[in-house]
This record gives sequence, C-alpha cells and structure tokens, in this order.
Amino acid sequence: MINSKHEKSIENVCDLNYLKEMMGSKKHLINEIMDAFLKQVPEELQSIKEAITKTDYAIIKSFSHTMKSSVSIMGVSKLTPVLQEMEDLATKETDIEKIKELNDTLNLICKQATEEIEREKMNYA
Amino acid sequence: MLKILKMKNEINIFIVDDNNVFTLALKADIANAFKTIPLKINIFETGEKCMEKFKEEKPDVVILDYYLNKKFQDAANGIKVLEWIKKENPDTHVIMLTSDDDIDVALKSFHSGAIDYVVKTETQFRKINYSLINVFKIMEAKRYEKRYKNLLVGVYVFIALIVGAVLAIRISEHSL
Repeated sequence: MINSKHEKSIENVCDLNYLKEMMGSKKHLINEIMDAFLKQVPEELQSIKEAITKTDYAIIKSFSHTMKSSVSIMGVSKLTPVLQEMEDLATKETDIEKIKELNDTLNLICKQATEEIEREKMNYA
Repeated sequence: MLKILKMKNEINIFIVDDNNVFTLALKADIANAFKTIPLKINIFETGEKCMEKFKEEKPDVVILDYYLNKKFQDAANGIKVLEWIKKENPDTHVIMLTSDDDIDVALKSFHSGAIDYVVKTETQFRKINYSLINVFKIMEAKRYEKRYKNLLVGVYVFIALIVGAVLAIRISEHSL
C-alpha cells in the first residue's frame, strides 16, 4: 500500500487516455498494443545505442523518428521534444555529444514509461 | 459524416509498416472509425510479406509506409512495393504514408500510382481516416459507374433486338 501511494506521488509520463478512448472497451486490443510497445521499445533503444557508438547518424535519425510515433500513441508527450531534437541533430549529422545526452534522457523516460505500462497491463490481463 | 457510406461488400485493407505499435493502433482506429462498414484488415511488417498475401487476396486498399527498411535493412522501400502492387493489380488503391513532408517522395508516389499521400503527424490517424473516406467514395462511384454501364449495354441490346425484330417482320411482309 505504501508503495502504491508512493508511486502515485510520482508524476506519470504516460497518458493512456488517448489509447483507451480510441479502443473503447476492447481491452484485448489495448493489451496487444501495450505488448507491442514493451517488445519494441527496448529494440529501438538498443538500435539507437549501437548507432551512437558507431556515430551512424542515418540510423539515429530513422529510429528517433519512428519512436516518435510509438511514444505518442502511449501519450509520452515528454519524449516528443527529446526525440525531435535527436532527429534534427542526426539529420544535420552533428553534435554526437548532445545526442548522447538526449539518449540518456530518452532511456530514463522510457524506463519509467515501461514500468507504468507494465503496471497498467495488470488491469488488462 | 461516416454514416453516408453504407457499403455492403467487405473491404479488404492491408497496412504495411514496420512499427508494430503504430500498425496495431491504426488498425484498431480504422475499425473504430468505420463501424458501419464491414472491413477486413491485415497488417504486415515488410512489403515482401505483404506481396505474398497480396497475390492471393488482391485487397481493395493498401496503406503503405514509405520507409520500410528501419528494422529490416534489406527490405524494399515503399515506392518499390507500390510498383509491385500496381503491376499485380492496378485496381488496388494505395495510400502512401511518409514521415517527412518530402515533395520528392510525394511526387514519386503519385507518379507510381498512389491515390493519396499522408504525412504522419500527431493527428495521423484522423488524416488517414479522411483519406480512406475518399477512397471508399471513389470505390462506390466506380461500382455505380459499372452498374450504369451494364444497364446501358442492356438498353442497347434491347433496342437492337426490337429494331432487328421490326426489320425481320418488315422483310418477311415484303417477301410475302
């Protein structure tokens, strides 16, 4: 109980209202999309991480771009400007150090989003 | 707005995009937006996988992403897939999706036979749904056109038969 109170005091990064509104009462669909998100995000983060070590701007650009779609469906609006900046820098092929910084923020927020969705999924099991 | 469309025949839609979260959400959103229309929606991660099924089903509409090689780097891009589709079945309507508002991609898409071009934005689903409404209207108009053509052919045949019969009667009267 103490734990759940504590969790509530932290501001959620996901806003699942959009998804719920779109799906209506079809809980299995929400569940399916959450599963896809939980599977896809670590893969995308891994691809970005690898691309950063190789300074492969094209890959950074394409993954930061595609992540914008997936996180916006989960209502993680905090990540939109982070991913946008990452994509812009990668498009200009510049400032890998700033990209690394943004990537740290991205990983941190994604970790929180993933935890929230895992908790939320319990309601849809 | 959507109630205008009352289509009886099932519409077969393929969605091709390698972002699974996006395709699943789009599929659910389309089903939700067009509740009155019987739809069958298949999703594919690459153009190659889409084409295997395409040959069997010849879908009415394909919603096709331009960038299909993020996850699978050897996968064909959207324009290539669009060309395959149009070669296989020119009647399939293709709505092209792109991440950037890139005029070159737009022109290439239209040149290769796409019926519409939608830029993915935050209101992406709404835009795609508007595009689908237009495609459904075109499909309906084409169906009417076909029906009227058949009706017209029927009328011509009927007139020809009457003229033929009248002539035959006249000829037989003369010969008497």
